[in-house]
Amino acid sequence: MIKKIKASVSEKILLTFLILLTIFTLSSYIAVKNKCLFIKNYNPNNIQFNNPENIAILNAPCGNVIIELYPNISPNAVERFKTLIKANAYDNVAFHRVIKNKLVQAGDLEFGRKDNLDYGKIGTGKSGLGTIKSELDGKFNYNKGSVGLAKTFKDDTEDSQFFIILQDEPLFEGEYTPIGKVLYGLEVLRKIKYLNDSQYILRPDFINTFKMIK
Amino acid sequence: MNLLRAILLLVVFITPIKANTIYNIIKIPNLEIYNINTQNKLKYFYAANSFRLGTQKNIICLESDKKNYDEKYKLISQNLKKYSYSFLKKINLKYIVMCEDLSISGINTAGIPDSAMKTLILDIKFNEKYFQRVIHHEVFHVINDSYKELFDKNKWKNFNKKNFQYAKCSTCSDKIGLNTYSNTDGFLTEYSKTTPSEDMAEVFSHIMMNIKVSNNDQILDKKKRIYKKKHIKNR
Repeated sequence: MIKKIKASVSEKILLTFLILLTIFTLSSYIAVKNKCLFIKNYNPNNIQFNNPENIAILNAPCGNVIIELYPNISPNAVERFKTLIKANAYDNVAFHRVIKNKLVQAGDLEFGRKDNLDYGKIGTGKSGLGTIKSELDGKFNYNKGSVGLAKTFKDDTEDSQFFIILQDEPLFEGEYTPIGKVLYGLEVLRKIKYLNDSQYILRPDFINTFKMIK
Repeated sequence: MNLLRAILLLVVFITPIKANTIYNIIKIPNLEIYNINTQNKLKYFYAANSFRLGTQKNIICLESDKKNYDEKYKLISQNLKKYSYSFLKKINLKYIVMCEDLSISGINTAGIPDSAMKTLILDIKFNEKYFQRVIHHEVFHVINDSYKELFDKNKWKNFNKKNFQYAKCSTCSDKIGLNTYSNTDGFLTEYSKTTPSEDMAEVFSHIMMNIKVSNNDQILDKKKRIYKKKHIKNR
């Protein structure tokens, strides 16, 4: 007959400590692995928009970013942007240039695609539709969440690449063509993969889908 | 080939982050905003620390003190107010950088225009006597960079007396005086005689400063007429 041995108080404390430690370790591991854990994912179907024809939904790894486009400020740029969105051209395209808490840039349709990523040329790719003229004269405040078209140092070189700023950038006014503003989901963009020592991202995050709501 | 590719990737990915927005836009380090809310949308920066530019790092400019920046900003902005936003847009000028002791390869200069970067760097320690005029002189170089076809150097040379020859470059001569001649004889200053483009810039800056020269100079009149036809009316 085996005699039952009662655990002492110190043994019970040790056991409880080990169980708590295990739970803490596991939950921390999950939290660290899942960067999107505390990010709210906005469902556009639950939101009423005044002008749904100008609302675009960018789906990134941590959820939806809901963007309102401003055709009254930059008609040509917004038209180009909508054309590309409607053609699903931005789906599976990399966020190739990311500066922590400052900006994310994507839209290289030539060298930024998931199935044709070219680190040597990323950022220089074209859409095939040609460049458009800069639209810099409209009144627009580049505060955080603003979306603009990227360009080279020369004006009138905008094509498909766009950026979203994560902090106010008053110097961008008159420099970059504005196309809209993020209404919801800026925190999703803060979770896009960045590197501390480079703006250009090795193994970047990708846009899952980019669609107009209507 | 793979090694080459690996090295290229390494270079791309170890490029340090220059998160400074001014640097990202005009590629000049160590600048701070002085004023970006101006009527003609010119944006003014000042050197918070000295900087070096160019592939050879041969362009150098130093930081100045607040008092000097404040004084010179007033003069610069007062003069540049003469140009409208639409004119500045046409000539591709958007950013003014203030610093002191500006030099290229050790040679001091009043300003360096860079229309590709829409920038004009101005030496705020430049001789006070000519400082305001020099601002317009440098603006002319910005105009000239954007509209080379409007300023035909050969046509300009033909305005001068037949036996006159410019120097080979603006720094090839030690005759660089900026005093306005009382007897002009086709040229407003000694510096005008260095190159056609410096001559053009001197004529332009005198027009912009409304400096009247009293003597009857037919050569100068012809030179001035070029601007009256082409630019001033569009200002």
